[in-house]
Amino acid sequence: MSFGRFALKRSLQGVGVVWGVITVVFALRFVTPGSAINAVAPLDASQETRAAIAAELGLDQPLYVQYGQYVFNLLQGDMGRSYIKGQEVTTLVFERLPATVELAVAASVVAIALAIPLGVVSATNRNEPVDYGATLLSLGGISTPNFWLGIMLILIFAVEFDVFNTSGRGVDVGDVALSVVNAEPFVGTLLAWLAYITLPAIALGTYFMALITRLTRSGMLDELSKGYVQAARAKGLPRTLIRYKHALRNTLIPVITVLGLQLGTLIGGAVITEAVFSWPGLGTLVIESINQRDWPALQGSLIVIGTSFVLVNILVDVVYAYLDPEVVND
Amino acid sequence: MVSSRVIRNLKKEFRGSGLAKLGLALVVLITLTAVFAPFVAPHDPTEQQLDQSELPPVGFSETTERTTSQMVDGEIQTVTEEVEITADPDHVFGTDGLGRDMFSRVVYGARTSLVVGVLGTLLAASIGVPVGLLAGYHRGRVDDALMRIADVSLAFPSLVLAVALIGLWGRAAVDVPDPFVVAGLAPGMPESFVLPITVVLVVGLVNWVWFARVARGEALSLRGQEYVKASRALGADDNAIILRHVLPNAVTPIIVLGTVQVAAIILLESSLSFLGFSGTTLSWGFDISQGRDYVSSGQWWIASIPGLAIMLSVIGINLLGDWLRDALDPGIEGEGGAA
Repeated sequence: MSFGRFALKRSLQGVGVVWGVITVVFALRFVTPGSAINAVAPLDASQETRAAIAAELGLDQPLYVQYGQYVFNLLQGDMGRSYIKGQEVTTLVFERLPATVELAVAASVVAIALAIPLGVVSATNRNEPVDYGATLLSLGGISTPNFWLGIMLILIFAVEFDVFNTSGRGVDVGDVALSVVNAEPFVGTLLAWLAYITLPAIALGTYFMALITRLTRSGMLDELSKGYVQAARAKGLPRTLIRYKHALRNTLIPVITVLGLQLGTLIGGAVITEAVFSWPGLGTLVIESINQRDWPALQGSLIVIGTSFVLVNILVDVVYAYLDPEVVND
Repeated sequence: MVSSRVIRNLKKEFRGSGLAKLGLALVVLITLTAVFAPFVAPHDPTEQQLDQSELPPVGFSETTERTTSQMVDGEIQTVTEEVEITADPDHVFGTDGLGRDMFSRVVYGARTSLVVGVLGTLLAASIGVPVGLLAGYHRGRVDDALMRIADVSLAFPSLVLAVALIGLWGRAAVDVPDPFVVAGLAPGMPESFVLPITVVLVVGLVNWVWFARVARGEALSLRGQEYVKASRALGADDNAIILRHVLPNAVTPIIVLGTVQVAAIILLESSLSFLGFSGTTLSWGFDISQGRDYVSSGQWWIASIPGLAIMLSVIGINLLGDWLRDALDPGIEGEGGAA
């Protein structure tokens, strides 16, 4: 199979999964019958009022008609209207999405930037103090609840030392970029951005830092014991070249796949991190929608979250296939 | 199944690893605490003593400024005064905002975490393992269908799906009588343990797919083995082959995954109770959410201590998982099983 065909096949599979995601989300509403009406109707609503609301929401139609209508609307980007906020769900979700993406990317950058060097140093200094230190750190990292870590960071850096903001988003990363164009004080805007994003990014990123450190360490140990590394050593190639060009590259390929699969954990973690730091993202929208029984907003958020996961994983698989052509023939 | 070679490996790895010993010690400690909670806890964890609220842990007596508002001559005046807050040796970990003993709450919280962790894992495994084995063994359409369901299932983060399901189903809990208290052995302790049944159900349903993936992978590789082919040639029934030949050989990675899953589900449970999606108020996550309101006013211990309890339990279980993995099967990758 050629690379192009692989990418196409994987994309078509992805479309199937997204369809599954939509169907599951549609079905969720029927797990508790009547709740959609209850969310909108006053408690003492008469049967007629309830029937009128049901008709307005299309709930009096046969199930397959509702489903067809739902999918049809979705394809046109219409996810309905929020029961509580009155806005279009599509608008609502895409207003919140950038904040979550920003947080998730910041957390991943912090995690990857620290974890890969740490994992490499740990593996190349096996059983030295630095290796034990990294092992303990990563063990702690995968075992710490991120919401608790967030609160501890607030306790230390906001309450005791008062250096960071603990609630809300302040400026977004776009403002930082725009400050250059608009000749505004860049450093000031950057610092304002950092004041808000640093703590949530650390709280969310720690688990991934720990996970990537563990994966990089065990992957490096595995690669360094392989024949090609010994051959390269016997040939007299410089040690740094062997470590970073050969061994690390081969280590990173599986690390990328695991990270793609862990994207769900990243988004799940973002939901709770956003709750701790009142970060105005999709996570807070999910929690709000559930507490207010705002099903259209919940469904819209779930569809966007599920679809993002599928898209990122297609991307990961395609990149993986590009880096390691053997996968294509698997 | 468990052969003498396996036991020898377990012992060998255990002796060589301080971390494995630490893990086992932590898990034993937490299990004993959870089981014998009524004897370990000095107070009823739900008993409120408002005159003893916000006491710091032993060793952390402190003077703080307390601001109170009073009506003086028809105007509201705020008065700031220095108050000495002395720790009470009767409350080792201090008390929370309602004067409940933190140590007793941490002890009882271990029950919730462990019970949800173990029951949730068992539920996930009892769905995932049979489905995975059948799909991997038979391949074909069943397998394709399973893999697509798994793909869809993985597209939703566990926490998000769990929150959505609990939001839809409600926060049901059942009261399980505490045998020690019923037998009159621990007077003054809560008579029943509140089991958040929806949470157990939901974490099981959300995490079954990890077991299905591992069981499927094992079945796929085992179905080609000579002894499986031989049984089939001898006319053995497929289900009998799965039970007698495939399952026993797939047990090792399933146990390793199960251990990691208990840790992941404990983390998931604490997240759910932190967000208020649980049926019980005796939980580490719930206490952290309560303690969060006190962080800015200086009562740091209310949120900190339950989190340390979560961390130590999860570290213990993860170390145990690492030990089992190293001893039972060096070939297993350390991925999967996310919270």
